[in-house]
Amino acid sequence: MTVSEDTMQDELETPAARRMRLVEKYGVFAVVILMMVILSALEPDIFPTTQNLTNVLRQIAMNALLALGLYIVIMTAGIDLSVGSIMALATMLLAMVDTGGLPWPLVLLIGPLVGIACGAVNGLGLTVLRLPHPFIMTLGTLYSIRGITNLVSGGRPVSGVSPEVRFLGSGEIPLPFLGEYASFPVSAIVILVCYGGVAYFINKVSLGRHIVAVGGNPQAARVSGINVDRVLLIVYCLSGFFAGMAALMMAGRTGAGFPNAGIGAELDAIAAVIIGGASFFGGRGSVLGVFAGVLVMGLLRNGLNLMDVSAFWQQTMIGMIVVGAVYVDVLRRRAGAAS
Amino acid sequence: MIGKRFTGTLAVLAAVATAGSALAQDKVALIMSDIGSANPFWAAVSQGAVDKGAELGVDVAAVGPPGGETDVAGQIALIEDQIAKGVKGIAIAPADTAAVIPALEQARARGVAVIFVDKRADMPGTYIGTNNIPAATLGAQHICDNVPAGSDVAILQGIITSTTGQHRAQGAREGLEACGLNIVAEQPADWDTAKAVSVTENILTANPNLAAVFASNDNMALGVVEAVRNARKLDDIFIVGFDGNPNAAEAILAGDLEASVAQRPYNMGQMGVEYALKLAAGETIPEEIDTGAILVTPENAADFK
Repeated sequence: MTVSEDTMQDELETPAARRMRLVEKYGVFAVVILMMVILSALEPDIFPTTQNLTNVLRQIAMNALLALGLYIVIMTAGIDLSVGSIMALATMLLAMVDTGGLPWPLVLLIGPLVGIACGAVNGLGLTVLRLPHPFIMTLGTLYSIRGITNLVSGGRPVSGVSPEVRFLGSGEIPLPFLGEYASFPVSAIVILVCYGGVAYFINKVSLGRHIVAVGGNPQAARVSGINVDRVLLIVYCLSGFFAGMAALMMAGRTGAGFPNAGIGAELDAIAAVIIGGASFFGGRGSVLGVFAGVLVMGLLRNGLNLMDVSAFWQQTMIGMIVVGAVYVDVLRRRAGAAS
Repeated sequence: MIGKRFTGTLAVLAAVATAGSALAQDKVALIMSDIGSANPFWAAVSQGAVDKGAELGVDVAAVGPPGGETDVAGQIALIEDQIAKGVKGIAIAPADTAAVIPALEQARARGVAVIFVDKRADMPGTYIGTNNIPAATLGAQHICDNVPAGSDVAILQGIITSTTGQHRAQGAREGLEACGLNIVAEQPADWDTAKAVSVTENILTANPNLAAVFASNDNMALGVVEAVRNARKLDDIFIVGFDGNPNAAEAILAGDLEASVAQRPYNMGQMGVEYALKLAAGETIPEEIDTGAILVTPENAADFK
């Protein structure tokens, strides 16, 4: 979009449409800040402490990476239901090869490689088998990959992952000036690097922009010479890759591979992307928004845990926030259409 | 202007919250492997813990992972958040025997007492739960009290490679032998109702004078009931199960099943809080604490429905 088009759209926009656009763009950040203020007021001795705030960062690591992969998929108007299972398989395999004696630098590659391989299966199913919707293909792999995880492990956990492999997921940088136990999780740095990388990729690299184009209008993208199938294959490989990175976080945090890892995690990741303002119809959404969506869910869980609120409320409230976030999107479209 | 009013509201909120925490008591967390109210067993554990907290004047948080039994990451987050809250002790039923270890080691490193309830992780620590051997013996004694000495009896075992399966089978055998009953069959039916039906049919064919069956869980006991009903011997054979499940309680009220051995989850919750506090206070506590078992019979079966 050129500058003159931008100005033209601004002039055409009704005040209501402009308000809704602002709500959509910054609303989720306002929610994050509001939640932090409320939690600080309700639990002043616990919530704003270094220990608790870094706990939130530790706890969101897995969802942050899964959501980042799903963000790229949802940008193409797709969906990947298999990320929780991919993460489980990658965690299990890397725990098995690590305890089996493979040198740790190779073990670190196993997680992302397993993820990419599973993602390639999803992408090929979609583009070669021409299954009608990625929901079908990834629903299938959600089951199959979970099954394979149980087959390779016999349904038993594998513990004893080496400290080198665990570093990315559980390493801590001590912050002695902030208190006896204060430290900053290495996993938060991993997240920062991954989010920065994807933001750069989507906005500055031509392949990234093709992804946005495919999501906005696949027909137009095809006509303009983009190889849509190749783009989709790469998109699902990326989603798998980030599930593999999440596996490294999980193996780090738990020191183990276990068959029930990440059951239902795909839904948390989808919820975070939607809360973060990405459109389910593709083409729209920001990396920063996804991060805010992940934070909203992490803060909600942490806050309700601190107040010992029943887990049922967590589910109920996350559901309401998802619906609320999409309703804001609906209002925005309606306001836009009215102009 | 708006900013000022907002800050004012915040200050009031903060003051209220601080006043609340000024009455701070010792805190203990019961971290279950499922959501308390999702399952009657955990609801009872949770109630026991809360009641014990009220009795001892400590603040008990009875919590479970939002994703239910398989939400290991959720349980790890709960452990971290309870450490941040400054609990003295954690009584936990681990959602995974391996994955929660780093978080629990962190808790211990920070001086939080950690004990296990119902299930233990693969690490040292006191275990509070049902000792299956005396519990199964309790069921066996009920058979002794109700059939003539010297009668033929059978034991249906669970998956016999599991510790639970072995302990229940052992406790039942010891109890039945002690009162002089004649054990004619000890066979596994792998906790499964359908398998229990087939196994029981074979046992009945080989032992027409069978007087009683001890089944190591209620699912198998209900299988025994079906097989015995088909053989038209429901009035002649005394059947005891294990678990005190609601459907077993109904079978007991209907007169199909005679009794079931139930665990005592309420005790688990109470003892979890009690011993976590003792350990936190520096007392030495036993490695294993049996929470006991109770017989479910027609007199009390309505409470287990």
